[in-house]
Amino acid sequence: MSNSSHSSSLVGTRWVELGLALFTLVIGVVVMFGSVEQGIGWGDSGPEPGYFPFYIGLLLATASLANGVLTLIRWKPLSISFVSRGEFRQVLSVFIPIALFVCAMPFTGIYLASAVFIAWFMWRDKSRAKPYGKWMIGAVSLGAVLASYLIFDLWFRVPLDAGPLGDMAGSFWRSLK
Amino acid sequence: MSEFDSLLQGMNLILTPGHIGLMVVGVLLGILVGVLPGLGAPNGVALLLPLTFTMSPVSAIILLSCMYWGALFGGSITSILFNIPGEPSSVATTFDGYPMARDGRAAEALTAAFSSALIGALAGVLLLTFLSTRIAEFAMTFSSPEFFAVYLLAFCTFIGMSKNPPLKTVVAMMIGFAMAAVGMDTVSGNLRLTFDQPALMTGISFEVAVIGLFGIGEILCTVEEGLVFRGEHARITPMVILRTWAKLPRYWFTILRSTLVGCWMGITPGGPTAASFMSYSIARKFSKNRDNFGKGELEGVIAPETADHAAGTSALLPMLTLGIPGSATAAVMLGGLMIWGLHPGPTLFAEQHDFVWGLIASMYLGNVVSLLVVLATVPLFASILRIPFSIIAPIIIMVCAIGAYSVHNSMFDVMLMLGFGALGYLFKKLGYPIAPLVLAAVLGDKAEDAFRQSMLFSDGQLGIFWSNPLVGGLTTAALAMLFWPIISAGIKAAFGWRNRHAIKAKTL
Repeated sequence: MSNSSHSSSLVGTRWVELGLALFTLVIGVVVMFGSVEQGIGWGDSGPEPGYFPFYIGLLLATASLANGVLTLIRWKPLSISFVSRGEFRQVLSVFIPIALFVCAMPFTGIYLASAVFIAWFMWRDKSRAKPYGKWMIGAVSLGAVLASYLIFDLWFRVPLDAGPLGDMAGSFWRSLK
Repeated sequence: MSEFDSLLQGMNLILTPGHIGLMVVGVLLGILVGVLPGLGAPNGVALLLPLTFTMSPVSAIILLSCMYWGALFGGSITSILFNIPGEPSSVATTFDGYPMARDGRAAEALTAAFSSALIGALAGVLLLTFLSTRIAEFAMTFSSPEFFAVYLLAFCTFIGMSKNPPLKTVVAMMIGFAMAAVGMDTVSGNLRLTFDQPALMTGISFEVAVIGLFGIGEILCTVEEGLVFRGEHARITPMVILRTWAKLPRYWFTILRSTLVGCWMGITPGGPTAASFMSYSIARKFSKNRDNFGKGELEGVIAPETADHAAGTSALLPMLTLGIPGSATAAVMLGGLMIWGLHPGPTLFAEQHDFVWGLIASMYLGNVVSLLVVLATVPLFASILRIPFSIIAPIIIMVCAIGAYSVHNSMFDVMLMLGFGALGYLFKKLGYPIAPLVLAAVLGDKAEDAFRQSMLFSDGQLGIFWSNPLVGGLTTAALAMLFWPIISAGIKAAFGWRNRHAIKAKTL
């Protein structure tokens, strides 16, 4: 760990370990709960639907608990930094845009969201001596979207959700034809 | 029919311009995903799966398997030129490959890597050709308890042999099983673990998990490490290729040993990553040039590459004959087979003769095609890596999102991908393995069916897993694998105690 404020630790590994163990424990308990709903015993036609998943949930919960206990036992050595502030800011600066991109998709459709996402990602890259020009950004983002349309929709016939705007453009195009 | 006749038949089937074109496309796409950070063989294959639904199974498997070979080759390009392993299985190649490239011997390192990789791969395919029919015939006698015991053995081997903490492997695996259980129960038709959410009714697809865990998770890790791609340049000339090939026979023993390590690790679910590390460390231990390892020793490139590819190809042997994939990529391919309506396992050899032998024949040809394509396109793919991250990253993310969407044409899957991406980042940083999760997600339903049927046979008695020598042996072996860390620690402790005792006796 360095002393500068930029790379100061955000959170200790032990907390993340504990958090993830708790998360998997919750999943295990949820799986057990859902299996009990379906019946975990022996029905008329053999094992009931929840028979197998129940033990999966049980194993998951037990292993998670054990992981949590192991974290508590090694509490001191696990105090090392999980991620520094600077690094985490880097990760968030990518993760938040991805989350926004994914959340926008049902409303805007895949094409528009992707084009804006790529364009924004390029536009905000200030680490370069010379930022990308407008034409460059436009060409790359529209080119990528066009390529995915050609490959998925046209050649392999896997229709992608174009969103309300895309559908409007599509019907306009058809009426023009 | 002998294996040779079947192979010729397979060759006949695939030697069409269409299939060869498909091979080249598969290899090129494979190298691309192998080179790009965040995309690897497992999620490359997962991304391509929806596109294969309209193809015939033989064409589809040629495309996917060639993508796998291409990705294995592509991973070595970045390892050697950029010191960045494009695939986890090519980490060991960076140890000596990158120092060689820095010394200006990049072309030599690349040629040696590709050529030894081809030898390893061909050895794996030979094994597949001559063993698969026999194993499949043997497995024809299996019934549900035997199948469950084989699954158990595969899963327990993962837990016992993994270099990750065993409990974390268990957690990852159980999450995979839980995912497989979501949705319609194959036996009763009941909806399980859906909690009345319509989005969960179709279940959680393993493709979405693979794309999120490997793709988005990898991108987040890359960003955190702040990778800058500053690579060495390489031009591969025919002269360099010939000169390197002239050197290769000197390393015949290393190649042979690495092939054996690779084939073994590929058949047992150790996978290519473990194989390449093991082969590297054995080579370092026994080499005459031990001190030169890590500073640019040709043997240090040959050993992991041979084992990596031998493991990659022989991972298909248990996948085809028993329905148990030996690596994450093989697991995704197995999922593909099931989606195409094929049933991986011993019956595949009887019912889908053309498919199986077409695949095996395409593996010979595909690997040779891979070598030619990769030798010709190294400069091209190296220049792709020099494209700034701010252009390549959003495009990779877009491809991942489209891939996740096209599995079921559902936006919910894209959200799920994001969640798996965050989970993948945490998993990587905390040492949870991802491959067992994928394996369990693909095999979960089949393992459960085998277990439930066994329980039906025996009226709920677990004793059925020891009811005959075969199933009993498999189950016992599985348990031994599961507790291997404890057993081996026990053996070591016992020996240590004896040694100490002996030393004490001497000093007295």
